[in-house]
Amino acid sequence: MFNHLKIRKMKNIKLFGILFIMAAIVGCTDLEEDPVGVLAPEGFFRTEADVEAAIFGAYGRIASERLYGRKLVLSIQLLSDMCDIGDRGTPARRQQINDFNSDANNGMTSNIWPYSYSVISACNAAIEGANIIDTDEATRNALIAEARFVRAWMYYHLIRLYGDIPYVGEFVNDPEAVATISKTSVSEIYGFIIEDMEFAWQHLPMTHPDNVRTRPSKGTAYTMLASVYLTMGNWQQAYEKAKWVIDHAAELDYGLVDNYQDLFDATKQDGIKEHIFAIDFLGQQNGGGGENDDLMGPITGVRGADVVGWSVSVPSMLVYETWDARDYRKKVSFADSMIIGGELKDYTFYEDVPRPHMAKFHRFPGNANQDTRYSDHNYVCFRYAEVLLIAAEALNEVSGPTAEAQGYINQVRARARQWPTFTSDFPADVAGGLSKDEFRDTIMEERRLELCFEFKRWYDIKRRQMGDEVFKGANSLEPHDNFNSGIHYLLALPGDELDRNPNLLPQNPGY
Amino acid sequence: MKNCKLKFLRRMITPGMVLALLVFQGFGNLYAQDIPITGTVTDAASGEPLIGVNVIIKGTTQGTISDVNGGFNLTVPNQETVLVFSYVGFSTQEIPVGTNTTISVTMEEDIARLDEVIVVGYGTVKKSDLTGAVSTVRSEEITAYPAIGVTQALQGRAAGVNIQSNNGEPGSSYKVRIRGATSINSSSDPLFVVDGFPGASLPPPEDIQSVEVLKDASATAIYGSRGANGVILVTTKQGRAGRTMVDFSSSFSLQKEIKRMELLNADQYAAYQLEIYPGDPKFMPPYEDTDWQDVILQNGGIQNYQLAVSGGNDRVTFYTSGIFYNQKGIIINSKYKRYSITSNVNIKATDWLNFGVNLMGQRSVQDGIKSQEGSGGTNGTGVLAAAVQFEPTLGIYNPDGSFTVKSIGDPHDNPYALATQLKNEDVRDRLLANIYGEVTLLRGLTFRANLGGNVFNRREGTYTPTTLNAGYNVGGRGTVESWKNTDIVSENYLTYTNIFGDIHDLTVMAGYSYQSFRDENWEAEASGFITDANSFWDLGGGTVWASDSRLTFSELSSFYGRINYKALDRYLVTVNARYDGSSRFAKNNKWAFFPSFALAWNINNESFMQGIEPISMLKARLSWGQTGNQAIGPYESLAKFGTVFSVVGGQVVNAVRPTSVANDNLTWETTTQMNIGLDVGVINNRIMLSFDYYSMLTSDLLFQVGLPEYSGYSSQLANIGEVENKGVELLLTTRNLTGELKWSTDFNISFNRNKIIKLPNGDDVYYGINPGHILTENTNILREGQPVGMYWGFYYDGVYQEGDEFIPGGGFEQEAGGEKYRDIGRVDADGNHIYEPDGTLNNNDKDIIGNPHPNFIFGFNNTLAFKGFELNVFFQGQQGNDLYSWTIQELDRLGGNANATIEALRRWTPTNTNTDVPKATVGRSYTPSTRFLYDGSYIRLKNLSLGYNLPASLISRIGIRSLLVYVSGQNILTITDYPGFDPEVNYQSTGTTDSNRNLSVDYGSYPNAKTYTMGFKIGF
Repeated sequence: MFNHLKIRKMKNIKLFGILFIMAAIVGCTDLEEDPVGVLAPEGFFRTEADVEAAIFGAYGRIASERLYGRKLVLSIQLLSDMCDIGDRGTPARRQQINDFNSDANNGMTSNIWPYSYSVISACNAAIEGANIIDTDEATRNALIAEARFVRAWMYYHLIRLYGDIPYVGEFVNDPEAVATISKTSVSEIYGFIIEDMEFAWQHLPMTHPDNVRTRPSKGTAYTMLASVYLTMGNWQQAYEKAKWVIDHAAELDYGLVDNYQDLFDATKQDGIKEHIFAIDFLGQQNGGGGENDDLMGPITGVRGADVVGWSVSVPSMLVYETWDARDYRKKVSFADSMIIGGELKDYTFYEDVPRPHMAKFHRFPGNANQDTRYSDHNYVCFRYAEVLLIAAEALNEVSGPTAEAQGYINQVRARARQWPTFTSDFPADVAGGLSKDEFRDTIMEERRLELCFEFKRWYDIKRRQMGDEVFKGANSLEPHDNFNSGIHYLLALPGDELDRNPNLLPQNPGY
Repeated sequence: MKNCKLKFLRRMITPGMVLALLVFQGFGNLYAQDIPITGTVTDAASGEPLIGVNVIIKGTTQGTISDVNGGFNLTVPNQETVLVFSYVGFSTQEIPVGTNTTISVTMEEDIARLDEVIVVGYGTVKKSDLTGAVSTVRSEEITAYPAIGVTQALQGRAAGVNIQSNNGEPGSSYKVRIRGATSINSSSDPLFVVDGFPGASLPPPEDIQSVEVLKDASATAIYGSRGANGVILVTTKQGRAGRTMVDFSSSFSLQKEIKRMELLNADQYAAYQLEIYPGDPKFMPPYEDTDWQDVILQNGGIQNYQLAVSGGNDRVTFYTSGIFYNQKGIIINSKYKRYSITSNVNIKATDWLNFGVNLMGQRSVQDGIKSQEGSGGTNGTGVLAAAVQFEPTLGIYNPDGSFTVKSIGDPHDNPYALATQLKNEDVRDRLLANIYGEVTLLRGLTFRANLGGNVFNRREGTYTPTTLNAGYNVGGRGTVESWKNTDIVSENYLTYTNIFGDIHDLTVMAGYSYQSFRDENWEAEASGFITDANSFWDLGGGTVWASDSRLTFSELSSFYGRINYKALDRYLVTVNARYDGSSRFAKNNKWAFFPSFALAWNINNESFMQGIEPISMLKARLSWGQTGNQAIGPYESLAKFGTVFSVVGGQVVNAVRPTSVANDNLTWETTTQMNIGLDVGVINNRIMLSFDYYSMLTSDLLFQVGLPEYSGYSSQLANIGEVENKGVELLLTTRNLTGELKWSTDFNISFNRNKIIKLPNGDDVYYGINPGHILTENTNILREGQPVGMYWGFYYDGVYQEGDEFIPGGGFEQEAGGEKYRDIGRVDADGNHIYEPDGTLNNNDKDIIGNPHPNFIFGFNNTLAFKGFELNVFFQGQQGNDLYSWTIQELDRLGGNANATIEALRRWTPTNTNTDVPKATVGRSYTPSTRFLYDGSYIRLKNLSLGYNLPASLISRIGIRSLLVYVSGQNILTITDYPGFDPEVNYQSTGTTDSNRNLSVDYGSYPNAKTYTMGFKIGF
């Protein structure tokens, strides 16, 4: 009897205990996520530093393998007549760009596009953030100005590569909102770029602390604006903006460096006075998603050399042969001999591609991997020599080959004669008495050599419509018989993007 | 939220405290003792005594087990008592006591094992009462040969279960697919449940009693949002009451590669290179003649030891085991070791309380080499890829003592240097503690609580010294990465069983569980060392550093229940349901409901079946249900800013950008599955056939849906897409001979058809599976109406001859001796792909060229036993899948930057034009095409073993209970057409998405080994 009672009582305890346990377990968790180590956009922007972080995010994306580390700049190189495919075993996407037979699925295009827009997205986020934070107007405007500069700079690349494209000028937090937009015309986008640049010029500083050249200043804004007007054929404005920069060179701390080689020596680039805007890579650091991965050294370097490269982008033989050896710039720009197996050997001993290779990106990579990958380079987007050449070119169109215009070229040429140990007699100053057309040709040639391999030439060919001449003409450095001026001044828009938003149709002609 | 921590603590503590309290109250309720019974149990077939037979008083848990002589003693309360005799593999017998005081029982082997108890989620069920599709694999099959883990041991053993090694390297993982892959972008791995702990670390094979594979929704729906890929229940060994048994087993294996590739020797290689580089002194004698396969391959081996002690009495049983597995790979400098301790204790505290503890500690150490590398460019070469492509004309060392580097193409390190110089050590520790209590509340009503913790710690260290290219470039590079994953689970459920009126047999189970997952990860990297001597143990000594850390936490809260109903021993109904709430789901979809229903009919229990003699068993099964796949990563539904590596003024600065947009509706993938099964036994179940047909449709597939990239985002995770798996499984078990010479056969064969039903916007998805240095173009496609992972490439039409019309196209050869591809397509004005030649070669000429899925997979096991001898012959294989080989393409491209296979001897030359192997030429493009597509079918003699059990009569005199000695061979025969090392390949197939869509591709895979084993098992 007693036992039974005890058992019943025990059963009650058991039941009670179990119900208690289950009650304790249920009803606690609300299943909400409370992430640690993950940044939520809501409430992110509180201080100037937060806005700066978004602007710096844009810089970081530019300094990535997809853009200034390889794909964007390599594409611009290969499209031109100054850089050809070296090793034909390199992936087809590069050969297609070089050979003018790329299509809407090309692997260069399909990478450049999203990364460029991620730069724009970071800028738009920064602009939105700048409008939220509690700060004074001057600081706010300076932040917005910097973000708008970078955004415009990115669009400037995109419209030159692709033509009409979708223009996104505001931060997107719901992609549905922009899912069905159409393309904006190149001329309209130029309008936005000019607005951004004028705003930037108003609100950016003359110089940055620590002489940083990888953030824009007033000088950067007008340099780029000069380049934009030049591309648009608005010569008067191009001249005026370039002239403003030249006139304020001292305050902006701009000038030509004495030794042309210094421009391409990663140990000397930080704060160098000729740089107006550059993309900063830090040696031997690897960010995620290809960030800070600079491969232009190995891409342009020599396969089989002791400092090994991959011989991907290599100038044609004619580029080398047609350039006068007295020009110091040729010496700096070319690697016509390399150390192979411990011995200096000339280019005929290069294993895969026995041609002189370009040297600007692998001769002095600074703190870098042995093969010069992850270099310490600052890749220049605008330098003072180009401002001089813009001024000369624009002025020639406005007033013909004036002495002022000649003077700008001659500044550049004088520096080109300046070898470290002696002064060469080549290139001589521009001769007087040139016609306007001759002077124009002279400037275009000067740009080709002075800015060689620097991701400029293709844009010159395009804006001056020189494709038929430089790819099919008698003096072509890199003939491409299939070049079609009705098609090839633009790349195909990425095919998958057109699939996602058919309002972006039509595809660029010929693709 | 504030109280949560406290509640959580309470939650941890209370079950244990309550159990402890109950234990102290429990002792002392003992039965009255009335009639003593003695008896013996023998095997009907051999007449030998049976040891360890359970003898239970029916309706209670009281009982004993038979001793070494098959004898038992038991006291029963009265003459109405019925004794139940049960023994694994034998038919259970019920004997009324009556007036007997000695009972002798002969047990019949239960061929169909219909009385066998099958573990299902949150309970057990008699095999004859199963309504779902469940495969059971037993201990003896799992330990038939030394295996690195239970997944390897399961290969070929169960119908519908496809297991493949991801890489042959000791310690590499295996891919497990039950009835195909249900997902594309989420994991298709099954859920492993160890002794009731979902997701727990797997014990070593030797500690496993049985493995149940739950395949259809009737069986898996109880695991709800984790059940869609099938569930594998692992039950560890437990002690049995009776004398203490000591078992020791040991095996020694010798391993060799399955085969070698036939490559050019130095002279043949030099001749090939001279065609490309005429007169190049590098290829003129004198040169070395190195067989690089010879240099890196070695005789591998495995030592495997287990010592287990088990036993107990009628209150406490225990099983403890220690295992040491030590493997030396077949490639120099690759090793793997595993140590483990398992301890299971079960305590019958009172007649109403059982509790117990499972503990496991395990450490594995993998000392690896690099294989299956993503890129064999300048820095990333792996040992296997290097061994086949490296120049035979070079030796290991240069005259100055440094390692040779490939002199053509990318300057790869030589394979010996790669194998010996790179340090890669992966140490994994697993700790599992699980306690349970089972309380009988009322007759037929029990409550069970499990509380478990599982900790997985992993540390991987690598060091690339300056003696290798990759290290030389950066002054040596060391990395250390660690993971610490902690799972806590609390399972609580009530089970009620009763038989009403001898007709209605009802079991109802209902419960609640909570599980949390905390995953930590941190890593550090440094390069630029002054010396290579410190390996990765002095990262501070570098000059360039990077580090990172991550944390995720997620929770799963679930209600579940099941009703099993059986009427008249014929009609079976099972209803399962689970209601899962997961923190990983988006805020509008936190909870998910997964039901299943099943019916089964034991037809041969019908009166009309009586007298239909040959049919001894006939059962039809039908089930339908839904299960989920909650493989959304934590925080994946949230909008996020990501960090960016950015530099300003030569300094790294804080930088962010928008990376993800929110999806408040993100939810689980749902698989709806129908299963029809039929089990037939004839001639006393000597022939048993199980047939299953299933049809699964997985909907709401998680896809990174492409967003307009100009929005700044590339994609958003969304539930779009459907994939279907349909198939047939057949299991045929026959006892061909049952006399003194016994011969039994198990044959299973599975046909699965995978098909994509719906993709985002119906668009094809292109992607590449290839080493980055070879190609980064698309080589594969996902297309509606096609299986996942089809190969996408060109048709190879052999070699152009002089005078042929060359088809123009960028990157394609247009000369005699060049590769000739077929012009099949163009694009119309609207951008649509039209299959119609247009006179040029470009991407429009790519097509689906191959299917990586086998038509069927099979396992075929034969066991012959005669007077203590046992012969086992086990074949396993697959049939009908294509295989793409980048390994061979890199060689036989004949582009002058690698050695080649002997196919190169057939290459086109002006004097040898009748061939389909192109001429040697520099810089030939790597084109994905049918040229390097192979038949990946194979049949493998997975195990051949001969064992001898010494007669008990002989060895028992010297105190030995059992002694088995055996010799065996694994993988000693592989029949395949694939000319690479081995057709079981899974290049780039271990990531979540990759494992579903990157199938049957070979590049630099570590070859599977063939193994010769001898060993013994001794029991005291």
